[in-house]
Amino acid sequence: MKFIAFHFMPYRELPSDFEEKYPSVWVTPPKTLFNPELGHRMYHDYLDELEYAIDLGFDGVGVNEHHSNAYGMMPSPNLMASILSRKIRNSDKTSLLILGNSLAAYNPPIRVAEEMAMLDVLSGGKLIAGFPVGTSMDGNYAYGINPAELRERYYEAHDLIMKAWKSDEVFMWNGKYNQLRYVNPWPRTAQRPHPPVWIPGGGSVETYDFCIENQYSFSFLSYFGHKYANKVLGPFWERNDELGGDRNPYKTGICQFIFVSETDERAQIEYEEHIRYFFSKCMHTDRRFAEAPGYRTVKSLRAGLRSQFDGTKKRPGDMLKDGTMTWQDLIDEGFIIAGSPTTVRDRLRDVLGSIRAGNVVALLHAGSMPHWLTRKNMQMFAEEVMPYVKDIHSEWDDSQYWPKGISEEKVQETLTQP
Amino acid sequence: MAQPISKIIKINENVSFEVKIAGQGEPVVFLHNLGGLKWNRFLDQLSDHYQVYAPHLPGTGASTGLETINNLWDLILCYYDLFDELGLESAHVIGHSLGGMIAAELAATDQSRVKQLVAIAPVGLFLEDHPIPDMFAMLPEELNRLLILDQDSPEAQMMRYVPDDLDDRTELMIERIQNQVAAAKFLWPIPDKGLKSRIHRIKAQTLLIWGKQDGLIPVVYGEEFQRRIAHSELKIIENASHLVDVEQTEEVISFIRDFMKTSDVALAR
Repeated sequence: MKFIAFHFMPYRELPSDFEEKYPSVWVTPPKTLFNPELGHRMYHDYLDELEYAIDLGFDGVGVNEHHSNAYGMMPSPNLMASILSRKIRNSDKTSLLILGNSLAAYNPPIRVAEEMAMLDVLSGGKLIAGFPVGTSMDGNYAYGINPAELRERYYEAHDLIMKAWKSDEVFMWNGKYNQLRYVNPWPRTAQRPHPPVWIPGGGSVETYDFCIENQYSFSFLSYFGHKYANKVLGPFWERNDELGGDRNPYKTGICQFIFVSETDERAQIEYEEHIRYFFSKCMHTDRRFAEAPGYRTVKSLRAGLRSQFDGTKKRPGDMLKDGTMTWQDLIDEGFIIAGSPTTVRDRLRDVLGSIRAGNVVALLHAGSMPHWLTRKNMQMFAEEVMPYVKDIHSEWDDSQYWPKGISEEKVQETLTQP
Repeated sequence: MAQPISKIIKINENVSFEVKIAGQGEPVVFLHNLGGLKWNRFLDQLSDHYQVYAPHLPGTGASTGLETINNLWDLILCYYDLFDELGLESAHVIGHSLGGMIAAELAATDQSRVKQLVAIAPVGLFLEDHPIPDMFAMLPEELNRLLILDQDSPEAQMMRYVPDDLDDRTELMIERIQNQVAAAKFLWPIPDKGLKSRIHRIKAQTLLIWGKQDGLIPVVYGEEFQRRIAHSELKIIENASHLVDVEQTEEVISFIRDFMKTSDVALAR
């Protein structure tokens, strides 16, 4: 198993009546609610937390991209990744996961090839390159990308970036959305021919095929945990088998909130308030922005609508909105895994026995969690849970999906005048 | 209500139009709004006086090829090709809302193809002081309230209609979304796609029709269109919002008929 300490970098101090007073945490959250002095503190706490995760020996630390979003304050994840790369280069365990850059938002998209190559070189060949399509709120509403073009732009950008990484030559790109006479990004990536690629996605067959055919790792990044992830990963593996792919578990990842304390009771006392902050404020989005027309293909749309109408798909967000979910419900529904180290270990073993996923994007910070508590959670998880579940899937080779790093840095000779 | 016939007209290897055709007389092309083409009271009455050709925008109805149309310019050329296939050297063109913008672009790009232009509450211009609300970030009931003044009218009820049968409901939703998808391709994220730099080229006689209480595109836009189009007049209709053609059908038809007569006079001179 591989565990990534992942951070959204949320704004921790939204007003208590935020969800009553304002329509959305995303696209339209009032900027006046952002206090830069508090923001300064939050950013540095969060970076400290991710650096601490490197000390604790997580397999990866992860960041992602959101726009106009009060629960994800990383419009540029690459800035955060560049800070982390300085420590990662000295780690023999931890990789740098950017999950990722929303390709259609970069113009020209070779900006991604360039910045990720910089990060790969800076980190010593430890980068995992995540290529999400991005949500409709980020791409269409906050960034104004035409929904009719979003997916085409994404695939064209992907093809361009991969060619830029793989090619030894200066080449020309005459695309539908990008025309470049000279494609020749410097630097080139440290990992050859390119860093491992991960695709965070929803549940469309097109995305499954894209990952399976290209040997990219598919991650289902829902905030609602393993039960919902299984509904998407199940069909992924079916499709994988149809296409004759191997069953390497590192081909898939799930996202999971995990909270560890000394006892089950203490976990509730310490974490519940912050988890509720996340689910009530950070998930408070305006359904007007749920999906721009054209964001999903008609095929995905038809499947989604039908299950929505006939009630087979009860949406987890709706369960939260009616406000009746207890702490135990959150655990039972799989939104969170929480409790004493033993409880969390057992639960994780159960879950990972029924879900085929080699990568766990562990959300160890939620909503308003203070720095000390996040550090505690990370430490307890790394020391008292992680070592006991690491053996799962250890018989599989992860090297297609994880960085190997470049050879150790040669020690610089002292620069003195002879 | 007269049933129009539906014809599929292929204009190139990628794009086909479904065109609804009804009536006799002078040919008139009608371009629908972002709600998609519905054969309604307005088109029915229009076809009492003219031969009406009403194409579905590519990507809606049975019209295909939206994904191969890269931009507004491609789209406009598709309509000229359709005119060719219909044998229309030059036609009277009526467009509503999105269709009004397309009609104006058709008249501005090739001045010989549009005999007379009727633009009913067209989009296409954008005034910073009177921003058109984001029609792609509204709940259906919110949009409906902006579109139609009398919320008890049959048209308003039709827009709220949700079938009980789940398959029917899914398909109706898909149809509504597809209409939006096609419209969004040419209007996202702000419905201002450069008409302002071309509108001065419109030489055709132009009739602008606006509902006085238009909740989506206020009447001030009508005044702006009139100011920018050389041979234009603006008719403002009481007790109507954005769907003025179905809200006050008789009045709109009568303005159009009067206007089309002036073209005969102009031609006779």
